[in-house]
Amino acid sequence: MLTSLYVEGRGPLHRVTAGTKLAGLAIAGVVLFFVTQLWLLAVFLFLAALAYLTAGLSIREALRRIAPTLWSLLFLLAVNLFLLPMQDAAVLGLRILALVFAAAAVTATTPLAEMMAVVDRVARPLEKLNLLRPGDAGLTFGLCLRFVPDILSRYEALREAHRARGLKVRVLTLLGPLIILTLKQADEVASAIDARGLRGASKPFPSSERHSS
Amino acid sequence: MTTRDLALSALFAAIIIVLGLVPPVTLGFIPVPITMQSMGVMLAGTIIGAKRGALAYIIFVALVAVGLPVLSGGRGGLAVLMGPTGGYIFGWIVAAFVSGFLAERLVREGASEWRQLGGFFLSSVLGGIVVLYAIGMPWVTLAAGTPFSAVAWGSLAFIPGDLLKAAVAAIAARSVLAGYPLLPQRA
Repeated sequence: MLTSLYVEGRGPLHRVTAGTKLAGLAIAGVVLFFVTQLWLLAVFLFLAALAYLTAGLSIREALRRIAPTLWSLLFLLAVNLFLLPMQDAAVLGLRILALVFAAAAVTATTPLAEMMAVVDRVARPLEKLNLLRPGDAGLTFGLCLRFVPDILSRYEALREAHRARGLKVRVLTLLGPLIILTLKQADEVASAIDARGLRGASKPFPSSERHSS
Repeated sequence: MTTRDLALSALFAAIIIVLGLVPPVTLGFIPVPITMQSMGVMLAGTIIGAKRGALAYIIFVALVAVGLPVLSGGRGGLAVLMGPTGGYIFGWIVAAFVSGFLAERLVREGASEWRQLGGFFLSSVLGGIVVLYAIGMPWVTLAAGTPFSAVAWGSLAFIPGDLLKAAVAAIAARSVLAGYPLLPQRA
């Protein structure tokens, strides 16, 4: 139901580490804002589109994945053509298209596990500041994904309950019970986690101990 | 953050994902179906409070970023965040916080039903519309270069639908407050 947008493959981008790709994307995002030469932006767009379209997806599937973003983009670019000089509109259009393709390429070539490892690395300073306990990031993401199927079947059960009583399925009669039942479950899950001591220690270990492990 | 806060935020993020997976549902009094996921930002803050609501959205946006198709219509990945409407997605985190911050102060547990509804509606409008657009619209201008005034005029078309969603979110938030109050115990 929730399959990652990652595509198996052995292309050149697949071999680059997740951290490098994300850093590259961030740098490209900043640098491209200072580039105003059309030919240079066109080269960037060509490379980004090439990287995305050769990531292992069929062209059709590749375009379907980013279609909503592309449509909103095309709409804005059409508006730009009316309001801005031709040259400016073209620069803006090429720049954002290149970034969207590059971002889609990073998503398609980086496995979920590597992405999560980056998230974990980002969360580490928060652990040092004692805002999170070690392992909290993984625990929260795990809980969230673990309970999506449960909540979905609860939603289906509520819909069936509506049907059984001859009621139309409506937002208001559905949301309240769905949320209340799920939040009650969250409380039970939290006390189960605490009762079993599954969460990391609150205070960080003394620094000497930490280094030795 | 207690374990309870983490669990509430994680499961609320899961609710937001489910609201994007299910088909759009009609409101009852108007025939147009709405995607329920877009109400999530108003619901998160007003139901589980500012900090937990913002955390639920941090989890959700992180899941978008790592490449899971958790946005309604099966969208996800970095391209959505880098695109012209990425600001609205990052803005959800702040919007959920502001809705919750206001709801924690405007809604009293013992108050009359109408006062509570009014408080929830105001929190949803200010957090889920005003703050969200204040972040999303400049981002569109920055990313796609469309002049800000054009973006602002174009966005007006979405306001009636958003106000309707704020009203629905307020009613849902009140029914949760009556059935299982979490807002008064702040994180």
